[in-house]
Amino acid sequence: MIKFKGVNKWFGKLHVLRDINLHVTPGEVVVVCGPSGSGKSTLIRCINRLEKFQKGELFVDGTPLHDHSTNLTKLRAEIGFLFQQFHLYPHMTALQNVTLAPINVRKMKRSDAEELGREKLIRVGLADKADSYPTQLSGGQQQRVAIARGLAMAPKIMLFDEPTSALDPEMIGEVLDVMIKLASEGMTMCVVTHEMGFARQVAHRVIFMDEGSLVETGSPHDFFDNPQTDRAAQFISKILTH
Amino acid sequence: MLEGLNFRVLWEYMPFFMEGLRNTFLISIVSLFLALIVGIIACACRLSPWKLVRGLSIVYIESIRSTPLLVQIYFFYFGLPTLGLRVPELQTGIIALMLNSGAYIAEIVRAGITSVPNGQIEAGISSGLNYFQRMRFIILPQALGVTVPPLLGQAIVLVKDSALLSMISVMELTRCGQTLTSERFMPTEAFFTVAFFYLCIYFVLKSMADWSQKKLIFREAY
Amino acid sequence: MMLFYFERLVEILPFFLKGLWMTVVVAGISLLLGTFFGLLLGIARTSGNKLLVGLIGAYVAVIRGTPFVVQIFIVFFILPEWGIQLDALPAAILALTILGTAFICEIVAGGIKAVPKGQWEAAQSSGLTLYQQLRYVIVPQSLQTILPPLVGQYVLLIKDSSVVSVIGVVELTRVGWLTVVRIPEGLMVFSLVGILYFAISYPLIRLSNRLEKKMATQQMML
Repeated sequence: MIKFKGVNKWFGKLHVLRDINLHVTPGEVVVVCGPSGSGKSTLIRCINRLEKFQKGELFVDGTPLHDHSTNLTKLRAEIGFLFQQFHLYPHMTALQNVTLAPINVRKMKRSDAEELGREKLIRVGLADKADSYPTQLSGGQQQRVAIARGLAMAPKIMLFDEPTSALDPEMIGEVLDVMIKLASEGMTMCVVTHEMGFARQVAHRVIFMDEGSLVETGSPHDFFDNPQTDRAAQFISKILTH
Repeated sequence: MLEGLNFRVLWEYMPFFMEGLRNTFLISIVSLFLALIVGIIACACRLSPWKLVRGLSIVYIESIRSTPLLVQIYFFYFGLPTLGLRVPELQTGIIALMLNSGAYIAEIVRAGITSVPNGQIEAGISSGLNYFQRMRFIILPQALGVTVPPLLGQAIVLVKDSALLSMISVMELTRCGQTLTSERFMPTEAFFTVAFFYLCIYFVLKSMADWSQKKLIFREAY
Repeated sequence: MMLFYFERLVEILPFFLKGLWMTVVVAGISLLLGTFFGLLLGIARTSGNKLLVGLIGAYVAVIRGTPFVVQIFIVFFILPEWGIQLDALPAAILALTILGTAFICEIVAGGIKAVPKGQWEAAQSSGLTLYQQLRYVIVPQSLQTILPPLVGQYVLLIKDSSVVSVIGVVELTRVGWLTVVRIPEGLMVFSLVGILYFAISYPLIRLSNRLEKKMATQQMML
């Protein structure tokens, strides 16, 4: 579904991704973790080309991303992306946020799109908030609207860039809950997160990154209980005692 | 201080002042409309990816902003005939006002557009919206709210700026004051009346600007 | 023919430089006086004394609401009717100072209001006098907010000083006007005038932008 082949990226002189090789299969849930500045956000931002990379190959659902002739707009419509800061459109209601892309990218009829939008809002448990503006919603509710916004495009892949780290502790659960439901329904997901409970419960694979490289990859069980490298062991002890 | 005012003469000149007021109105509205077009185009060029286009718009904006409007008016008034162009005073004045306000409006619009956070644009990109859809549905609606109060501020400046057209004999409000002064030598009556009319326009525009500002803050706060 | 006029223009360049010097003098004196009075009135405006605040507010509104040409006509033509005789130069400086004071007073008041209330309370509770509170606590903190628009205001004052040419002060714009009668190359003459204004305004505009950026990054670090 997603295939990195020797991907390298530099920000000026800074080498932020080093020789990334990774293969994510359909229906797989991959959790990416690592210290800040390790390149994990950059990695998943490459998957829908919010970031360009300079060397290597990247295929998403068979489409080459390193090829300039690729229709990015079409590809991006197939990939849901969740931001740490939600980035809901503040001048639109929750429902309008969800229906904007279906109407304008998928060219759906407004009434169909609204029906679809309400259905997605029900799925994230916000049926009653359709007409609220983002500023009237709590952080957790905003992030769930953002998930509904992503789902409305019927994506093949959902990418999550630290979806809970801007939330108050009491709201993290409600967002993770929706994500767990999604995973159990077979969605292909790449999640950058430090929520180790979530990783243990739903991840098929955990990837540990440091200084731009994939340092370790394994099942959650192996990774947490029996890390292979010192760096990973150090990282785990740090977040678990945290 | 006001008991010496000659209201009889003022009354006699009132239709004359009314016409001046009307001209000030028309000049301001026409110039503002044209300046909006110029400003939006200049702003689009300022944000364009091509270096040459961007450079030209920077030269335009900065040279307008660092020279006085009166000099710009004289530049066109004395300069256009040198080029063999015979443009009447009124049109010359409107050209100068349009280009002057256009530069300031370009900066206002640019500030509005850059005030929309980058994450909004990324969210739009991620849902597969193209450049025009992002402009139309995400950036402009958010930028517009922020630009309305400073645009009304620019309208206030423009009305006051139009007074300088009196220097090239355009019959607007200030010119009426000068005429009354030279015909009857009544500067007190003349310029207090003129100032009064300008103040009326100012208060109307100012309360509109304050109202829009308040609405904006309210919308952001709730 | 163009070349001939160009050579004439180069010949009388000293005349232009004298005009530029006059612009610097007129604008410089007025902006110093305007800063001084603007600071006083700005502080007074945040004092909470209703009568004082109301009076200053009315003064600012009248100055902001009327064109500067009209203000200068009032100073130059109407003061003599009340027995105050002023030459063109002092009249120009007076009018520009009145204008500058109004705008600067608003900037200062805005900067002072931006200082959090807790700072006043902390300064009061450590027993500082009102003067000490302002001098050591409030004004230094508001300087950050005040400085960028203040420099921007200086640019506006320099540009507004071109308007005093209408009462016969021989500054830069007036020099252009006097020259174009003899050298009928409007574009050339007023380009030169514009370049000279640019030479003093543009560095100040850059300075204002730099200060603003510096302020923004400092606020981010707080």
